[in-house]
Amino acid sequence: MLVSWDWLKQYVALDMDREELENRLAMSGLNHEGSEPVGSDIAIDLEVTSNRPDCLGHIGVAREIAVLYNQTLKLPNPQPAASGPDVNTDFSVSITAPELCPRYTARIIRGVTIKDSPTWIQDQLRTVFLPSNRDWKPINNVADITNYVLMEAGQPLHAFDLGKLAGAQIIVRAAEQGEKFTAIDHREYELQSEMCVIADGDKSLAIAGVMGGAETEVGEQTVDVLIESADFTALSIRATSRALNLHSPSSYRFERALDPAGVDWASQRCCELILEHCGGTLDAGVIEAGKSTWHTEPVVLRLSQIERILGIKIDTAEIRAILIALGNSESASTAESITVIPPSWRRDLTRECDLLEEIARIHGYERIPEDVGVPMAASFRSDEDRVAEVIRTTLTATGFDESLTGSVVPLAWTNQFTPWATTTPLRTISPMLQGADALRTSLTPSLLEVRRINQSLANPAIELFETAKVYLPQAEGLPEEQKTVGLTSSGDFYHLKGVIEALLAKLKITTPLSVADAGEQFDGLLDNQQRCTLLLGDKPLGFLGQISKPGLKAFSLKTAAMVAELKMDLLVDLAALIPQHEDLSAFPAISRDLNVVLPESIRWDQLQATVKQAAGEALEVVGYQETYRAPDQDGANTKRVLFNIKFRRADATMTGEEADAIRDTIVQAIAANHNGKLLGV
Amino acid sequence: MALQDFLDQLDELGTAAETAFGDAADTVALEAARVTFLGAKKGQLKSIQQQMGSIERADKPTAGKAFNATKGRIETAFEAAQQRSNNTDSDSTASIQFDASLPGTTFRCGNVHPITQTIEELKDIMGRLGFSIVDGPEIEDDWHNFVALNIPDDHPARDPLENFYLATADAISGDKNPVGLLLRSQTSTVQIRVMEKTAPPIRIISLGRVYRPDTADATHYPMFHQIEGLMIDTDVSMADLKSVLRLFATSYLGDDVTIRFRPSFFPFTEPSVEADYYWNGQWVEFGGAGMVDPNVLKAVGYDPEEVTGFAFGLGVERLCMRRHGVTDIREFYKNDVRFLAQF
Repeated sequence: MLVSWDWLKQYVALDMDREELENRLAMSGLNHEGSEPVGSDIAIDLEVTSNRPDCLGHIGVAREIAVLYNQTLKLPNPQPAASGPDVNTDFSVSITAPELCPRYTARIIRGVTIKDSPTWIQDQLRTVFLPSNRDWKPINNVADITNYVLMEAGQPLHAFDLGKLAGAQIIVRAAEQGEKFTAIDHREYELQSEMCVIADGDKSLAIAGVMGGAETEVGEQTVDVLIESADFTALSIRATSRALNLHSPSSYRFERALDPAGVDWASQRCCELILEHCGGTLDAGVIEAGKSTWHTEPVVLRLSQIERILGIKIDTAEIRAILIALGNSESASTAESITVIPPSWRRDLTRECDLLEEIARIHGYERIPEDVGVPMAASFRSDEDRVAEVIRTTLTATGFDESLTGSVVPLAWTNQFTPWATTTPLRTISPMLQGADALRTSLTPSLLEVRRINQSLANPAIELFETAKVYLPQAEGLPEEQKTVGLTSSGDFYHLKGVIEALLAKLKITTPLSVADAGEQFDGLLDNQQRCTLLLGDKPLGFLGQISKPGLKAFSLKTAAMVAELKMDLLVDLAALIPQHEDLSAFPAISRDLNVVLPESIRWDQLQATVKQAAGEALEVVGYQETYRAPDQDGANTKRVLFNIKFRRADATMTGEEADAIRDTIVQAIAANHNGKLLGV
Repeated sequence: MALQDFLDQLDELGTAAETAFGDAADTVALEAARVTFLGAKKGQLKSIQQQMGSIERADKPTAGKAFNATKGRIETAFEAAQQRSNNTDSDSTASIQFDASLPGTTFRCGNVHPITQTIEELKDIMGRLGFSIVDGPEIEDDWHNFVALNIPDDHPARDPLENFYLATADAISGDKNPVGLLLRSQTSTVQIRVMEKTAPPIRIISLGRVYRPDTADATHYPMFHQIEGLMIDTDVSMADLKSVLRLFATSYLGDDVTIRFRPSFFPFTEPSVEADYYWNGQWVEFGGAGMVDPNVLKAVGYDPEEVTGFAFGLGVERLCMRRHGVTDIREFYKNDVRFLAQF
């Protein structure tokens, strides 16, 4: 809301320093957003919160100043002289859509002279309109006066050229669906049936509360004018102005709860100024349709609540003075309480807490202490929070950057890849970003998109992770929001698997990691061979795999990419956040290398299980070293697996003979279980 | 493999190794030669040993002896070279100079996203002030996002154009979708969920992603992060609110920070507060706060005559941008690794 320094002077003595006033206003609820000179005047930009439509006019702001500086507020008392016949004799107003317009009033002035408005009106309007619209120009005396009263009282008005109205009547009705209307801005709008229009006997004259029509606007030829002052339903005005993308100072104010008493005051004020500056005669009385649905109720303020809520004591005399100065009238009071009836322009004051805020802001928030001893309290970090931190530290240490990507993605991405669920993804009604309206069911597509962006920038290392939710629809109720760790790497399968193993180690998860075949929901995006699901014990942890060639193509990726996703809940469940000490053997370890020839089909996890079982409890580590193939020497469908085993006894140094004996047992078990043999034997 | 071939190879290897060790001019060259011949995994001696498997069984003892002899020969040559190197090697006489200015072996460390770093710092500060972290769903219902927060039906905040409502079953063929759900527009929803389940006193912060249909530009993004705090007890006043926020601002912005508290408006607090800090000659909004509105307390089953409390909320991106000089919010979600590496 832009206010004019000169304009405010009409209502309140501005004998204070302007900057001090701006600061004082900011500190009492009208945040100062800037000031700029306009001619010899100053435009002051104040932020008016949506609960304070009374401050969308100069009088409201002046009232705040008067309260803050303990000054008298001088208000105009409009009493336009009506010398014409009764206005109701040959003109009528009817409301057929009371849900859109509860109240409509009209006054008629005949025989006006249209010319430029007085310089002081033009100047003051210029101050409040020019800063936000550099093309702003005064229109004519009648139009400028309606705008002047709008900016004075906050009540929007409209002046119609009475001569262009058909049928001596105004009908406030719902628009016809698809009805075309040309507004004052000379643009055509297509209306909908939820919108409210002002019509005469045969046509629409205005989009109610939003903008008048080009056809009936007051111009040089105008002789008689009809002044509209009405109350339109806030919700309807907001919907209309949004749907048409047509925002005006009128619609901005009607979207808020206006002062019901302001309707008639503004109408009279406007007529008074027109009579003064445009001439003409005012028809006697006012045409009224409908009535205001608002009525004020007394509000009780218990004095004990001041200290309870605000944390300070304030003199009862000051409390009373603040409430009265703001326009409340005291209706009943006791030693413990003050009861007031709020003024009609403060429809936001309905409860005790509303009055508490008024007292606090006028007394001054700065007078409430900010160094009280708030009692100490223990705070707790959740397991999930601790695990998230281990994930971040481990993954950044292994060379991964943390990324943050959008929760809502193109539907094609969720259709392409459904690692966690096969149900249809949830959709938002409006897309979040272009083409993105599906709540993601996997982090992988988002990470691949980030790979693509980085590839396009020729960034050499693209190692990324993200910890975020995927949204899995449920048959009933809220969807499951599964916290998931997503990873993508340029390294190979075993590199990314190694990173995951390092993460599990850092989380002190002792439950063994195993792999299983990845099902058909991984087809397409993941390579047919290099992929697996991951399990911790018997619980599914996630998946790991290489992006297939079609997958790379779908995301325009030029180089190989590995991806994995892990379910965070399971990591939280199995992490040992308070690891326990175990006694360590004081004796050295002894190790043996084994190079065994095995049938191609034997997997490492099978071999490892055999070794573990055969080795007994002295086995400390089975360390895989490498696999290579020598079919010429070993025969077809064989491989050589080189690995290391390390033994350690808790009670003594293990001898070489003991280690050899265990190795021999292992070799026998490998022969028996897997038809494998030690190389060279 | 024929025994003779094997023995020849051994001999060649021994000679080659002796030459190489003899020629090694410094420790670097010597080490390279050691890896070539004696390397544990891929050394030539190791690979010739692996060929022993293919020697006829009868010849194996001979081959074994010859192998051990060659092994001894190479090891002796290496030790001799090592001895010589220890005696003579020094910076001033080495023909190849050691260059300490060469870069170290590259070791890539990743980076935590700046938004996460900001969140962690804010969490850390609030943790020290006794606030515990709670989490809640991002997909919310009307009750938790609006009704319980004292946001009435006709409030502009509920406008479909101001929120990401989820499409209903009608809009999507096939699966049934929950009706009336939306992506939360604020983290205050978590406060409601906590209060519904927990009796006072309460001292929590909730944080995470929130969603509002803003067109993405330098200062807006339809998804951003909020951090919200809530303190409820039998006699929490605005003085407590100001004191906690003052401690918070001082911890985060430094003890020379100038802050101010001014009136504002939020449906879920009354009185409401906006906190600003003074930065580069102007006031910058730090966050919104206020005393929890009695209607909110009633909505979760608390008695506003028994308990009072305050709540506050901050936009994480805005704080992070200001702190690190980021001028375009979209950078956070582009994830250019060069951008991420700056923090």
